[in-house]
Amino acid sequence: MQPKDLENRALHAITRRHFFEQCGVGLGKTALTTLFVGDSLFGSATDGPAIQKLHVAPTARNVIYLFMAGGPSQFELWEPKPDLQKLNGQPIPPSWMQGKRFAFMESFAKDPPRMLGVNRTFKRYGQSGAWVSDCLPHTAGVVDDLSFVQSVHTDNFNHAPAKVMMNTGTPIFGHPSMGSWISYGIGSESKDLPGFVVLQSGRRGPRGGALNWSSGFLPTAHQGVPFRSGGDPILNMSSPAGFRPAQQQATIDAILDLNRMRLRQVGDPEISTRISAYEMAHRMQASGPELIDFSTEPEATLEMYGAEPGAKSFANNCILARRLVERGVRFVQLYHTDWDHHGGAGADLDKGLDKVCLEVDRPIAALIRDLKQRGLLNETLVVWGGEFGRTPMGEVRDTIGRNHHIDAFTMWFAGGGTKPGQTIGKTDEIGFSPVEDGVHVHDVQATILHLLGIDHTRLTFKFRGRDARLTDVGGKVITKLLA
Amino acid sequence: MAPLVLCLAAPQFVVAQTSLKDKRFFEEKVRPLLARHCLGCHNNQTKMSGLSLESRESALLGGGRGAAVVPGEPGRSLLIQALHRTGELQMPPAGPLQSREVAVLTRWVQAGAPWGVEAGEDTQRAGPSHWAFQPPRQVDPPPVKDEAWGRSPIDRFVLARLEANRMSPSPEADRRTLIRRVSLDLIGLPPTPREIAEFLADTRPGAYERLVNRLLDSPHYGERWGRHWLDIARYADSNGYSSDGNRPMWKYRDWVINALNQDMPFDRFVTEQLAGDLLPDPTRDQLVATGFHRNTMVNEEGGIDFEQYRVEAVVDRVSTTGEAFLGLTVGCARCHDHKFDPISQKDFYRLYAFFNNIDELGGEVSVEQKNQRKLDPMLEFGNPEDFARREAIRQQRSILEKELKAYQVKLEATLADWEEGLPGEERASIAPQIRESLEILPQRRNIYQRRVLDLFFFAQDPAWQARREGLRALQEAEPTLDAALIMRELPEPRTAYIHLAGDFTRRGETVRPGTPAVLPGPRDSRNLNRLDLARWLVSPDHPLTARVTVNRMWQRYFGLGLVETEADFGSQGTPPSHPRLLDWLASEFVRRDWSVKAMHRLIVTSATYRQSSEARPEVSEADPGNRLLARQNRLRLEAEIIRDAALATSGLLVSTLGGPSVFPPQPEGSGQFTQVNRKWTADEGPNRYRRGMYTFFRRSAAFPGLTTFDAPNAQSTETRRNRSNTPLQALTLLNDQTQTEFSRAFARITVARGGSTRSQRIRYAFERTLARLPDAEEEGRLQSFLTHMRDDFGTRPLETHQVTGEAAGSDQAPSLASWVAASRVLLNLDEFITRP
Repeated sequence: MQPKDLENRALHAITRRHFFEQCGVGLGKTALTTLFVGDSLFGSATDGPAIQKLHVAPTARNVIYLFMAGGPSQFELWEPKPDLQKLNGQPIPPSWMQGKRFAFMESFAKDPPRMLGVNRTFKRYGQSGAWVSDCLPHTAGVVDDLSFVQSVHTDNFNHAPAKVMMNTGTPIFGHPSMGSWISYGIGSESKDLPGFVVLQSGRRGPRGGALNWSSGFLPTAHQGVPFRSGGDPILNMSSPAGFRPAQQQATIDAILDLNRMRLRQVGDPEISTRISAYEMAHRMQASGPELIDFSTEPEATLEMYGAEPGAKSFANNCILARRLVERGVRFVQLYHTDWDHHGGAGADLDKGLDKVCLEVDRPIAALIRDLKQRGLLNETLVVWGGEFGRTPMGEVRDTIGRNHHIDAFTMWFAGGGTKPGQTIGKTDEIGFSPVEDGVHVHDVQATILHLLGIDHTRLTFKFRGRDARLTDVGGKVITKLLA
Repeated sequence: MAPLVLCLAAPQFVVAQTSLKDKRFFEEKVRPLLARHCLGCHNNQTKMSGLSLESRESALLGGGRGAAVVPGEPGRSLLIQALHRTGELQMPPAGPLQSREVAVLTRWVQAGAPWGVEAGEDTQRAGPSHWAFQPPRQVDPPPVKDEAWGRSPIDRFVLARLEANRMSPSPEADRRTLIRRVSLDLIGLPPTPREIAEFLADTRPGAYERLVNRLLDSPHYGERWGRHWLDIARYADSNGYSSDGNRPMWKYRDWVINALNQDMPFDRFVTEQLAGDLLPDPTRDQLVATGFHRNTMVNEEGGIDFEQYRVEAVVDRVSTTGEAFLGLTVGCARCHDHKFDPISQKDFYRLYAFFNNIDELGGEVSVEQKNQRKLDPMLEFGNPEDFARREAIRQQRSILEKELKAYQVKLEATLADWEEGLPGEERASIAPQIRESLEILPQRRNIYQRRVLDLFFFAQDPAWQARREGLRALQEAEPTLDAALIMRELPEPRTAYIHLAGDFTRRGETVRPGTPAVLPGPRDSRNLNRLDLARWLVSPDHPLTARVTVNRMWQRYFGLGLVETEADFGSQGTPPSHPRLLDWLASEFVRRDWSVKAMHRLIVTSATYRQSSEARPEVSEADPGNRLLARQNRLRLEAEIIRDAALATSGLLVSTLGGPSVFPPQPEGSGQFTQVNRKWTADEGPNRYRRGMYTFFRRSAAFPGLTTFDAPNAQSTETRRNRSNTPLQALTLLNDQTQTEFSRAFARITVARGGSTRSQRIRYAFERTLARLPDAEEEGRLQSFLTHMRDDFGTRPLETHQVTGEAAGSDQAPSLASWVAASRVLLNLDEFITRP
């Protein structure tokens, strides 16, 4: 191949993208006429996305996934259960527990688990009349934009495997996470930011760490890129000390020129990909400071989120998430840790829970309102949930808490083509199991892909002799959730 | 990248109604012939001349010359015509088939070309006749037209294929390219200017072979090829899963390096790793070797079922064994029979039974024992005093723990008195959640309320606090000894069951250890253990182990294996591009007593390996994937080697072999995104500049400089690395702190040793980086860059100081700063991070 052809090919990738961006391809019936399957330019300038034509009409362009790591209690937040209150302190009948497995099960032999009542006040809010406890007064104000699913269930009762399950569709470590699948499938619309960004707040990172946003067996270009809300948003985004922008520019120019000379000598198209990668790295460096510079945000916006410029907080991450989707980032995942309320120092269902609710409540409500005001909520899917919920039974440690529960817990969704102001699924009188519309983790994943225009059974990758996919061998779209 | 859209769009086959007898005839007689002689070129991927013989449909459709098979009409079938070699088209290129074989194929076409089981047909499985389940054939290198080209038998296999396709190989790469290529491939370090000069000056015959011998004798060879093996071994320095604590694993890593450096025969290399503990009177080294299958993850999370994660570890051992040695995706059979290969679920659990009896953290271990037994079995290294001191502390701890419990019981008995005597105002000052429990009558308090009060009350007691503190201090005083995770059998083996649908809580039939039924089994298949498994794997007539191993070696040298799907030799894998060469190499490997170094020597001294990698338009056109090897491939270096090359080029490399893992600087905040925000204190001194393979590998927060360049995440076995090309890589090479250190050091060396003129220095630095000299255009570009930067830094003393790390006052400072900048440019070049 002649070097000129190689350069042309790289140019072609860009013009093709340009074409789609400018001309649109009329995929949906809605205002999303410019929603195209973007070239994964961030990944590799010459690799297009795996899906050339979306499988179904998309209703969402981007996803903001609020991952409440540790497993928030559905009982203290969303589900008033008067019967549980009445049964406080009573042992749970053994028939409920038959065949079930729990974390810390060995302690049950000494002392059978007992029901634990809820010390919170619930009220109905909004037109939809959704129940919310006094833990989340701000979120209570936006319930009409949310769609609750109270009957989610999962397969794994330990944190790391359950998180990995929620993200990758299997508890086996090392598979691609949802954001990676999506980036691989439909690429990103951002020219100078990765398609899958991860933000983190709370005392520590999520269990399992980078495996939660790993690209697994998909190309590394699709891995989630951790952004920090203070300092360098991406590792190594700042030039070394002493290299100001002009000098960095001169350095990169020299690198590019020498690479072009080599391309002419040996004709390897990988060199032209490398040239594109350096050009994009340079654009990222240029856009990074602007991305995290909140000075352009009105005072009222910062106030609404409870954000302080430069702080490392969930509130700041929520603003950053909005700014990222505004710039075309496909999948933004926010982890906020410390929801593991077993009882124990700082992990009780009173002050411990209050603390973490206080950290997330106002920013979440602000995010929903802000997205709505800017007309972004109809194309941005917001997902809220943990890796599992908590048991109706209490647990005695240094203080009182609840154990991990995988049979029924609550998640909510907003925007991106979901039907607002409803509650899907019902659990039994003590909230142990779903009695109506059970929703498995794979169903959640299938639905998120569906909203983005992807049939979850058709986004596959050959791995170890199988056509692996996010939803493994399961998953059905939660049709009640769709608008 | 696999073109996913193609998979999605693949048309459904209409499977012809074929009788069972016909199917069997095809599978047993016809398919092996097609696989052996035709599919290497005429498969769905390569599709030489547009023809694929992978399905009946594609055979009937034919290629550029028309239908290959006309059912019932051998005379009109191109396939048969070509086999008779009477016309223009003569196949296969390697030489005529035996007349018996031609007769089989003719009879098959005559009978209407009934197919066996089609790809994609659900019930279909490769039978025992599948090519990879047959022992490698003893083959002779084929005849070639151009007798002058080859240097080794390998080349005749490759050339015969090229000639058959009317293609010619590329000329040998120049000497500078060769020394850079073979140094990076064999030891993972670029050649020094002196080594280059020596090689260029050695005009006697055999200079290249001498170079190869020197490299194979280098201790760095064991590091380079050891790291490849560690990918397969899923080596890491931490436990994985949730909190991901440290584990002592580096002695296993060093064992691998040493074994390779000593050229331990591969059969022994495998046996000691799989079953060193079962050898008679195993040495400590042989025990350390068994760390191979202790690289499985350990879940330290609270509240887990130990048995569940023990089962996961055993399953991982089976999958790893399958991919690493058998080249089969046996892991697929965990939940159900393998869909495409003849591996039943029972086969899976028979393999499972071999690895099921390790005395490790499992269902039998109580929660109380967890911390002590977490990493068992371990081999500890220490003198008797260390062991004695630790034992004393442990005993003391257990005494204190009992005392604390007794004290709490005593204390609890005084709770009622305390409550009674509690003054009103003090009671009012107690936090409401606690006071609430206090206000309930003692006999009516439930378990939660009693607990709240107990803990509040204990915490007021100074003696209780002191006891707790004392225990904690003792815990910290316990000495840690060097150790290694190893294998050790339980005295009584666990019963192994088939896990229904892969769920360990649902037990099916019990199984005994055994090898997959489709493969020839061990001579005596009663009472097998891991040692028998290992010996079976490396028995000289095993159809897979040698093939899989030489194929992986080939892959490291050419980018892809002869079998492209290096971990799937089953029916879903791609057939070998050069089946005879693969068999020849596998046979050679066994014939040469499994000497790994002998195989390296064989491959890297071949003319095939020594070809230029420059693109040739006519080759790219005819063979876009370069499967026929009409040239070498340029390959991006692996993550560790990029670091090593930069360390070597900048003169910073500390080339110590082995020892505990090290902590080079990483960008701030790298570990911030994990459960335990573990401190990463960068090493100062020599350990700061060790080779990349010694960097401490934490599974949940792997060193960013490694993962950005596709180092595996050590969750499961990896037989091939991606070679991605991303902006994050550019940011790392441009801006990472380590890169700054490298370019400063490199600049100083260039200024000190590179001669007095700028032109000399440019040539010196260029050669250090790329093993070649710049052409005029390249030199000119660096000249203008250096001028620009020197002038720029000349007006900026602060930046000059920041860039050089030296006081800015001297006249030389701006020049030095410009050299730091130029070093940075060189260390960022595509060519620098590419094996030529």
